[in-house]
Amino acid sequence: MIARRDVLRACAASLALASTGCGRRARPERRDGRIVVTFWYAYGDLVRRVLLELVARFNAGQSRVLVEAVHQGDYFECLAKLRTGIAAGAAPTLSHVVCEVVPYLARAGVLEELDGYEGARALPFVTALGQRGAFDGGDDQPLVSIPFNRSTPIAFCNARQLDEAHVEPPRTWDELAHDAGLLTRRAAGGETRWGYEVPIGWWYWVAMVGQAGGRLVEPDGRVTLGGEAGEKAVRFWQRLVHVDRVMRPPPGRDYQAWQSSMESFLEGRIAMLWSSTAFLRYIEDNARFPVVAAPLPRDVRASVPTGGTMFVLLRGAPDEEKQAAWEFVRWMCDAEQTIAWSTRTGYMPVTRPAVERLVERGWYARHPNDRVAYDQLASVDPWPWTTDLLRIERDVVEPRLEDAVLTGRDAHELMDEARDDAARPA
Amino acid sequence: MNPRARWHPWGMLAPTLALLAVFFILPIGVAAYESLYSWDLLTPPRYVGTANYRAISAHGELLHIALRTLGYSAIVVTGTMALGLALALLLDRPGRFFAFVRASVFSAYVVSWVAVALLWMWMLDGNAGVAGKLLRAVGAPSVSLLGDPRWALPTLAVVGVWKLTGYSMIVFLAGLQSVPRSLLEAAALDGAGAWARFRHVTMPLLAPTAAFVATTSLVTSFQAFDVVRIMTQGGPARATELFVYAIYEQIFLNLSVGRASALTVVFFVLLLAVAGLQLRVWRSRAGDAR
Repeated sequence: MIARRDVLRACAASLALASTGCGRRARPERRDGRIVVTFWYAYGDLVRRVLLELVARFNAGQSRVLVEAVHQGDYFECLAKLRTGIAAGAAPTLSHVVCEVVPYLARAGVLEELDGYEGARALPFVTALGQRGAFDGGDDQPLVSIPFNRSTPIAFCNARQLDEAHVEPPRTWDELAHDAGLLTRRAAGGETRWGYEVPIGWWYWVAMVGQAGGRLVEPDGRVTLGGEAGEKAVRFWQRLVHVDRVMRPPPGRDYQAWQSSMESFLEGRIAMLWSSTAFLRYIEDNARFPVVAAPLPRDVRASVPTGGTMFVLLRGAPDEEKQAAWEFVRWMCDAEQTIAWSTRTGYMPVTRPAVERLVERGWYARHPNDRVAYDQLASVDPWPWTTDLLRIERDVVEPRLEDAVLTGRDAHELMDEARDDAARPA
Repeated sequence: MNPRARWHPWGMLAPTLALLAVFFILPIGVAAYESLYSWDLLTPPRYVGTANYRAISAHGELLHIALRTLGYSAIVVTGTMALGLALALLLDRPGRFFAFVRASVFSAYVVSWVAVALLWMWMLDGNAGVAGKLLRAVGAPSVSLLGDPRWALPTLAVVGVWKLTGYSMIVFLAGLQSVPRSLLEAAALDGAGAWARFRHVTMPLLAPTAAFVATTSLVTSFQAFDVVRIMTQGGPARATELFVYAIYEQIFLNLSVGRASALTVVFFVLLLAVAGLQLRVWRSRAGDAR
């Protein structure tokens, strides 16, 4: 029988453990003489398998550092845990975060500045994907983020269905609406094949704001959410869903909607899908029809945001751990790892030497869809270096996009509300 | 029995009071304090007065969250009570078959919310799910119940009813055991039919059980989180954003501790009001009964 004293002892021990967890660690964690780098990551399926294989390869290739990769859900779950971990003094050494949150974390002073780390400023990143090109004025800021799994939105087309309808991948919004109409089929049993589908979300809307000639934040810092261009993008979606009836807003939010639309595309129920280059390999491997990737169509100009995440080192970790984490990050940026990562997943190769080797090896000639994704980087619009960007995305814009598209509410009224909300304190 | 010293009752209550103070009253106080600040966990808090309350009230957001939560609770509480009572009356019979059906109905209650949510998501899928196929089989257009803002909340509530009905059925079955057979037999001898026996004998004697089921179902429905998190994440178009999920979303996803705290305070006041109302109704009924 457990004595009361034993119970009290156990409680005291738990409290002591909890309180040590809340403090900052001064000394690095070691296991078998190796420095342990805890790496919180956020993927599933194929991408997770590839990452874990690379981590295992790094761990096997040297005896000084042991990277421990810990899965933390999707990007936003991982970020939520990261913030809580930082606040509790229990953050990992290394993680990766979406671009939109980098300025906020940098302002909070929780990211390690990497300028002083060996070779950090000399890493030959593809400009659009590194901090310098990913953010407006990113080069003026201390280096706090290293590109890791980077992507852009891209159009995937079911080549068989497009051939049957005698259409090419659309190059403009007007062509998109027209072709989606030709590709939509309504069967008597109520089953519909949709011409076009895209998750109703921030990332794709940002692409369309740029395509319609707008910008989220003006150079003077005003958050305009694209002004008329932002409203035009919403109206275009409303027209496709409610007037032309050639687009289905996928059910669910966030990655649930992404997953749902991808499954529908793979089952042949959608002819043209906007998704991420990150799914390029998965879609190609699982589709039972030829898949053609195409750049997103333009309205007044071509534009895409970058997506995916950046590596960040957490400032609160012990110095030796951060140094060890940096070794891993640099290793991941070597051409061979970058190539393995990008060719097996569909994420962009983030360094120029990796791209050059891929060209030399004839990768792009054999995989034209990857070439389309890479070439589209010429149309990248950088993110504003705005500390409030994640809140604007999650709380201000995204629910209103759903509202506008699903209920048909007036785009001007909703975006006015959004601009008003964006100006309020967090 | 009188206490030997005046402090003895307080001494007995002290552990409970301490727990209540540390884990209930203090957090509410902290939330009320933090609702006056703009804070994101990582940067220093900034005093903003009532700006967080104004922000969550702007464009009717707070009112919508409150109405959604009340609507969801109303469907869940009435649904579980009605179905639970009906099933209890139907299955209050001896025999293995009825025992099997009772166990089957109750099994939904012991399954985790996550498993229930995933199961229902699969069934409700507009294309591949059972619901979509059934609709198409009868020639009706396939509706994405979770993707349509008009249907998403009632659908979640139906899932809640399905999950909680087993619990209310079991409690009603226990309540039915306490209804004296002699009373029912006497009423039957007096010529009362089945409905009259139920209306005038069973129902009044089940009133305390019904009050218990109503209270526990209300508490559970107000705490709804897992089902929202898994099935809809508050969407589409915030149609399923209930209080607890809205608080979670503000603090962990939108980086706004201040707004989450303001929502917590309002939620607390709403719960107080509902609990007060419920207490008042019971007291007045108890008074009538005397």
